[in-house]
Amino acid sequence: MSYDPPPPQGGPPGQPPRAPRPRPYLPPQTAIPEEPRPRPRPTPRPGPAPDAEATQFTSGFSGSLPPVAPPPRPARPPRPRAADPATEIIAKMQADDYDDYDEYEDDYYDDDADEVAEQPKRAAPVDGPVRKAVRGIGELLITSGLVILLFVVYEVYVTDLISAGKQDDATLALDDAWKADSGSNTVQQADPQRQEKYDLIDGKAFAKMYIPAFGPDYHFSIVEGTTDKNLEVGPGHYIGTALPGNPGNFAVAGHRVGKGAPFNDLDILGSCDAILVETQSNWVVYRVLPMPGEEAGWAEGKGTSKKCEKVAPLKDAANPGTSPYGKTVGQEIVNPTQAEVISPVPHFSGDLPPTAQQVSLMTLTTCHPRFSDRQRLIVHAVMTQFYPKPEGFVPAEMKEQ
Amino acid sequence: MYGWIWRHLPGPVPLRLCQALLLVAGVVALLMFVVFPWAEPKLPFNNVTTPTQ
Repeated sequence: MSYDPPPPQGGPPGQPPRAPRPRPYLPPQTAIPEEPRPRPRPTPRPGPAPDAEATQFTSGFSGSLPPVAPPPRPARPPRPRAADPATEIIAKMQADDYDDYDEYEDDYYDDDADEVAEQPKRAAPVDGPVRKAVRGIGELLITSGLVILLFVVYEVYVTDLISAGKQDDATLALDDAWKADSGSNTVQQADPQRQEKYDLIDGKAFAKMYIPAFGPDYHFSIVEGTTDKNLEVGPGHYIGTALPGNPGNFAVAGHRVGKGAPFNDLDILGSCDAILVETQSNWVVYRVLPMPGEEAGWAEGKGTSKKCEKVAPLKDAANPGTSPYGKTVGQEIVNPTQAEVISPVPHFSGDLPPTAQQVSLMTLTTCHPRFSDRQRLIVHAVMTQFYPKPEGFVPAEMKEQ
Repeated sequence: MYGWIWRHLPGPVPLRLCQALLLVAGVVALLMFVVFPWAEPKLPFNNVTTPTQ
């Protein structure tokens, strides 16, 4: 765009004699630096004869010997010069270089008499088909890169925001439902252990979960169902698995990345860490089962700590082969197809023991490794406490770290 | 592509700048609220469930 002026000059093609034209507007550039040259020189030259050679060299290579020039100057010539050369020499150097270059180019153009043809190319490197195609492809690549980056931002942050809103709505709805039901609830208090009545509606929250190990503000409302839409709201209860506090396996799935990422840190949950589930009328406390490596020596080792009081390996140490819970441990990583981890007795293929004899388990599932769905991270926990829920009661387990 | 858009925006540079920003915002919103939610379930990032029996 800035080269607009030349084309009008080159307008009439095939006129080499016009070559002089560029000169008129290049010379003004050369003229300016050339004028100052003579000015500074005359002043040093009038100086003493012995220095003449030195000054000649400095003027001849005015650019290359600036440091040499100063010594002779202070020696004899008048002082005003000391200030002048410092600034002027630099200006000259640049101007000279550019001028020479420009002049050569001009000569070249003149000789070839191609100037008219050359100049338009330089002025408007516009849009040959190749140029257009290359630029188009480049822009497309850059754009797709930006879109992919944006997708990462969406996946990791924006879905969190969207899900946070949905989770809040679900929690509010659950609180309202519990409040509305509180009248009948007091009647239930007479027999807290009786089967609790749940309104299980797909996509609606029916319980809240807390994991004190993840901080006091970690709480999510668990919704019924595990479709993508349900899991956007929060952790989802596998339909058909046991309900909180009941014998069997209360299985819950949750996202690990984005969408609120309720199970983001599931991998750092250790054995005996508490998972609390609050239902309309009860608190149920689950604790993570011993990890595979901890089972041996559990009774003497970690099993002695206070919070592990009611946690022990479910494996029947005497005959590990036949015990139904032989493979149920605190944490495992399985293939996505292994549905047996959420069956009432995980990994057990024989005849299930009657419901009443089943252990009350809670199973959390999420994707593994993070940012991938190649495998599933599974955490199994066992029920250790069951509290009826009087108004304002908060289990002591909530204060654990 | 971008050059073509820029040349076809009317008005002086500040006005064009505003229009360009608006266009960018529009495209980002379209991606965030339409394209990404559509594409996401098709990508293998976020399956957290095991099959139910």
